Amino acid sequence: MKKTLAVLLALCMVISMTACGKSSTDVGSQNSGKTDLVIAVDADVDTLHPADFSTTVEMDVLNQVYDTLMYMNPDGAHEPEPRIAESYEISADNMDYTFRLRKDVTFHDGTKLTASDVKFSLEMYMNSEYQGSQVTGLKSVDTPDDYTVVCHLENPYSPFMLGICSVHIASKAYYEKSAEEFANTPVGSGPYKYVGRNKGSNITLEAYDKYYRGEASIKKVTFEVIPDQSTMAIALQTGDVHFANIQSSSMTQLQADKNITIAEVSTSGFAYVSMNTEKAPFDNVKVRQAINYAINRENLVQVCFDGEAEVNSNICSKSRFGYSDEQFQYTYDPEKAKSLLAEAGIATPYDLGELLVAEKYSNLATVIQNDLKAVGLNVTIAVKEFNAYIGELTSGNYSITALNMTLEGDTQMLEMALTSDYIGTANNARYSDAQMDELFRQAQAETDTDKRAAIFNQIFTKAQDEAVYAILGNPLNLYAYNSALKCPEIPFEGLYSIYDFSW
Amino acid sequence: MVKFVVKRLLYMIPVLLGVAFLVFAILSLTPGDPGTIILGITAKPEDIASLNAQLGYDRPFFIRFFNYIGDIIFHFDLGTSYQSREPVIDSILARFPNTLKLTIFSMSVSSVIGISLGILSAVRQYSVLDHVCVITALIFACIPGFWLGLMLLMLFSLKLGWLPPYGAGSLRHFILPTITVSMTSAAGLLRLTRSAMLETIRQEYIRTAKAKGASEKRIIVRHALRNAMIPVITTLGTSFGASLGGAIIAETVFAMPGMGTLITTAIRQKDIPTVMGATLFLATLFSLIILIVDLLYAFIDPRIKAKYRNGGKSHE
Repeated sequence: MKKTLAVLLALCMVISMTACGKSSTDVGSQNSGKTDLVIAVDADVDTLHPADFSTTVEMDVLNQVYDTLMYMNPDGAHEPEPRIAESYEISADNMDYTFRLRKDVTFHDGTKLTASDVKFSLEMYMNSEYQGSQVTGLKSVDTPDDYTVVCHLENPYSPFMLGICSVHIASKAYYEKSAEEFANTPVGSGPYKYVGRNKGSNITLEAYDKYYRGEASIKKVTFEVIPDQSTMAIALQTGDVHFANIQSSSMTQLQADKNITIAEVSTSGFAYVSMNTEKAPFDNVKVRQAINYAINRENLVQVCFDGEAEVNSNICSKSRFGYSDEQFQYTYDPEKAKSLLAEAGIATPYDLGELLVAEKYSNLATVIQNDLKAVGLNVTIAVKEFNAYIGELTSGNYSITALNMTLEGDTQMLEMALTSDYIGTANNARYSDAQMDELFRQAQAETDTDKRAAIFNQIFTKAQDEAVYAILGNPLNLYAYNSALKCPEIPFEGLYSIYDFSW
Repeated sequence: MVKFVVKRLLYMIPVLLGVAFLVFAILSLTPGDPGTIILGITAKPEDIASLNAQLGYDRPFFIRFFNYIGDIIFHFDLGTSYQSREPVIDSILARFPNTLKLTIFSMSVSSVIGISLGILSAVRQYSVLDHVCVITALIFACIPGFWLGLMLLMLFSLKLGWLPPYGAGSLRHFILPTITVSMTSAAGLLRLTRSAMLETIRQEYIRTAKAKGASEKRIIVRHALRNAMIPVITTLGTSFGASLGGAIIAETVFAMPGMGTLITTAIRQKDIPTVMGATLFLATLFSLIILIVDLLYAFIDPRIKAKYRNGGKSHE
């Protein structure tokens, strides 16, 4: 018995010692000839409905199973590439979009994909509370023949094309057979067909051999649900997992491993300070500008994002359509902040009251509290549970806060943060300006790329001048993958397609 | 005895109703609505309202509560998840086997280690073995589960490559989670068994047994252990019930879908039907286990058995 205990104690020590050691497992060289891929995701999917989904994981899985009419890189600079539609035309008045479909597209159950399936899918999106915003502006859909689809818009709406490029085309016949199976065992026309799932554990996909662009190189894909970041990193290192979206906290551990490659992908998401412009002193533009100057963004990115974010004070991220270097950038300048506060008639030290945050943003709050204190503005940090916090935020029951937000899709989506229609939802600053509303209206109707860029230039110049928010930076999406995996550049926002991967 | 069991089963009804009401009220009174949580703050208010209406969340609290209870009683229906739109019972049944397995494995390991070492420690009080046991138990009781789990992962999965780092597909997947969960509870059991045994050993009837010349083994097993077991079984029963709720930490670290992660995720998403269904399921199991523990007392202690015969009334 003493022996057993000695062994136990020894084991205990060994465990703590090896924990500090470096991994020596060599997995990189054994991958040739492999055709399966294991992807780790941090949460399970709740549904696999092509339109009624809400999480990133659900979208990542569905994007492999379902195909779209066209493909467009969401950075907005790309021309749409053909997918199910081989060509498209836009009418002179910009009200009708005509798509001509390929005739060789089949669903995974073998049935042909025709215009009625496209009409059905678009209408399903129109009625979806979840993804309805992807088809904003769409009034009705016509199908003159089996392989032509005409979308009629209510008004000219230039973001329409990018939105429709994310609409999953689903089978009408399959839906009519069983709405329940339709939501849980998806049948798409994409490069991978759904094989099965173990709730809470994994989802399996298999390459569709009759995919019209040719069968994918990776034959079997498993999405494994691994909620814990440390476990995910270990599974990547052991070679059990080949690809994963990781958090910056795992970076140091994984960078040290030569079998792991890390890709940093820009996103349009942004971390920011929102000031309630309906409340004093934030109704004063000079105070908002002062706060913009007071925050040391470089330092904040190091502390809160382990350096894995792009410093940017503009609500429009740098890869997005409409961004220009002409638009003003706030830099760290505490002296300027102090003089702006003096101009605004604020005698420092001044008490700004509560900096309200949700638990997960409390690290942002701490850094901001320090920076504000350095220019004579005192805040106390108040932490609320996330759902309670969101309630206070959207109802405007706060004065200053810090959080992250994603308004992906066309640059037009930034109207949610800047126009008066969205006060009460995503316009947290409760910023209301008739000229800003008008500029966004012009931007959505303008179809000429250069003119549209000019309008956005006006918008973001104005947003910067008036310091509507204090934008801090754009967090990077981090992907860690087995070095043997050939993984082309992952597109903006991290919308990857496993079809492009190979061993 | 039968009367006692029936009576206890009937007591479960108000207990479960109380649990249901409390959990339902807490979930409904906390801020946030499922529509906003599912669709996010960028969603249009009319979409959020329409989703809440579809989920039935727009109706008043009491109507929702009585509908829910009514569905359970008259249709045996635990409701449909707000998030997955699937029957809650399906989510529970998909995860419960993992939790049950992990509970049985870890309870077996921890009771074998905890009780046997606890007895040995007590019998050989102040020996080297006793000190080693007590100190080791203290260490394991203090080690946080997530840390132990990660260290085990690093050693057995990353360094040695013996065991898979995540999942619940085969028995091998259960080895590391079982160690993680059982070490902490074994430490607790060891300390409890030791003190219960020490107390019993000092009783006068043990001295009598010694005096009449019974062997040490017989004294320990027949006289001391039986009496020392009452508090140990109580603890075992409650911790068995509690761990059916899921070892959340082990489930998270080892990516093993179980009841604990099901409930915590559902709470964060304000998925009321899932939280309710899982809680009621566990509350029922817990009540049944406590009943079994009470019945076990009867086998260990004839005095308690006599009490049950009298319909629960004490005649001492």
